[in-house]
Amino acid sequence: MIDTEHRTQNTELRSQDNELIRCDGIWKIYNEAKPHEVRALVDVSFVVEKGSFTIFNGPSGSGKTTLISIIGAIDRPSRGRAYLDGKDITDFSDVTLSLLRRKRIGFVFQNFNLVPRLSAWENVSAPLIPQGIREKDRKYRAMQLLDKIGLSDRVHHAPEELSGGEQQRVAIARALVNNPDIIILDEPTSNIDVEAASLLIDILKGLKAEGKTILISSHDEGLFVNADIIFEIRHGHLAGSWVPLVHR
Amino acid sequence: MVFCLIAILFPFISAIAILEGVKVQSRVSVNEGADIYVTMDMYGRNGVIPLEMAEGIKKIDGVIKAVPRVISRIYIGSRLAVLLGIPIDEPPSSLSFIKGSIPQRGEIVIGKRMAEDLNMDIGNNLSIGVRVIAIIDHRPYIIKKLYRISGIFDSESSIWTSGLVMMNIDDAISTFEMDGFVTDIAVYVRPGYEVSVSENLQKMNSFFRIQTKDLVKTYVERGFNTKGGIFVALYTVAFALAIPAILVSSGFGLSDRRKEIGILKATGWQTHEVLEMVFFESIILALISAPAAFILSFVWIKLFNGLFIAQIFIAEIGSMPPFPVPSRFMPLPFILSFFFALILTMVGSIYSTWRAAIIPPAEAMR
Repeated sequence: MIDTEHRTQNTELRSQDNELIRCDGIWKIYNEAKPHEVRALVDVSFVVEKGSFTIFNGPSGSGKTTLISIIGAIDRPSRGRAYLDGKDITDFSDVTLSLLRRKRIGFVFQNFNLVPRLSAWENVSAPLIPQGIREKDRKYRAMQLLDKIGLSDRVHHAPEELSGGEQQRVAIARALVNNPDIIILDEPTSNIDVEAASLLIDILKGLKAEGKTILISSHDEGLFVNADIIFEIRHGHLAGSWVPLVHR
Repeated sequence: MVFCLIAILFPFISAIAILEGVKVQSRVSVNEGADIYVTMDMYGRNGVIPLEMAEGIKKIDGVIKAVPRVISRIYIGSRLAVLLGIPIDEPPSSLSFIKGSIPQRGEIVIGKRMAEDLNMDIGNNLSIGVRVIAIIDHRPYIIKKLYRISGIFDSESSIWTSGLVMMNIDDAISTFEMDGFVTDIAVYVRPGYEVSVSENLQKMNSFFRIQTKDLVKTYVERGFNTKGGIFVALYTVAFALAIPAILVSSGFGLSDRRKEIGILKATGWQTHEVLEMVFFESIILALISAPAAFILSFVWIKLFNGLFIAQIFIAEIGSMPPFPVPSRFMPLPFILSFFFALILTMVGSIYSTWRAAIIPPAEAMR
């Protein structure tokens, strides 16, 4: 059961001891000052704790994906500051952001974004290539992860030969290959069936148990029960946050 | 992409190979030919020379033999051909390639290609137009003479004989109504006598135009260099046009490539690492396409005798060359083609990759 009574409008930033991510007045404006300007995010501020399971909920087009892209350091805000471990990453150089993504963040995209011409294990190990790791070791690491998520019989398959759920698990394995402490998933249940979604929840629970911080953009209420906190995004604004009853 | 590169490199390698082959065959022909060619100076051009001069030239110290020749252009139907009239007791080396017999009076030997085109064989009679005598109502009236075909240059003959008509020099003189004259005298001299013989020839008659083997070689080299230069210039233009084509085909703004780069960046790749990957990809593409184009070119020329492509580089031979297309595969065009392929792929991919890599990954993947 989810306790909707405990919704709050608490968007004020409070300094927390276990604070991992802090967004402070984030704006994202596309085509700024042009006739077709789009305000995807408007003055969004919040804090995410270490090891938490956080969901950004909102209808399609509300700005969830844009927000997690900024948190995941794959996009830059138009205004405002984003902090990771207290460090302002907003003005990080391209090189520093790349290294940050490599070491700290694993991103699972809504449509998985696997490279079509690479096999499952090659997709998983791709982030290891620039680190100079030998192919043998890369393959071993990829195999380990694929085995962990139940895809040991699909390692040589191309993405097009895999089901939606399998592709997503390959994308999860790729996100985990650098052993990051932050896992971000964009609409993870939107392109998979119920069975795959159930398997996904088990994987996410396992990752949380390992101490990883999980951020998800989703409007799938089936996931809410697992969340520590849910932020409501409406028309680019942070409309509030709430904690499911099971955690109270 | 590899097929695109092969399509660009194949004509380049083939053209250079054929040009080099023809060049080598020309050098051989010049080397096997006479040491000095003598004509009369006619207002700065080559003019006919009295036949009797050959006897005088033979007496010059160092001269082995002086062979009078008649060389001219003739029409067989609408086809332009080269007629060579030589004394049958002084046969050139090309005569060893004749199927049939050496032409006697009233006989000719023709190239295999010409025989096929005209559906002629040994023993048939061939009418040759030698001179236009009048043009009435825009129609040329040509004097024609009939000759019996005594032989055909076979397919092993050089490219020069494919469109050649050879006859006895007396017939040639009579055909062109140039009694007592020939077009040139080919002079063969003992080694080391070229200079002294040339000087003596000039003393013998100040109106002689003397062309030594070295001079002919220079003309030939200059001709091929000009031909090669024109081809390289044309190829450079084609190459320049290929760059935007490759740009487009290799992903200039193409969403798939751009997205792939965005994915790599999102998973922690740095811009320079993505560029390095693309650079290595370009090298691999060049390493695959250059040898593939080289092999294809080699097979096409050696096995298929340059079918369809040789006619681009050798004039008037048709789509199926009637003789073995001369070719020479040198290492330099191979190395050049590798660099051409590398430049093409680099130009086509590095810039678009860099453009995609410097923007936020989310934007590149969008």
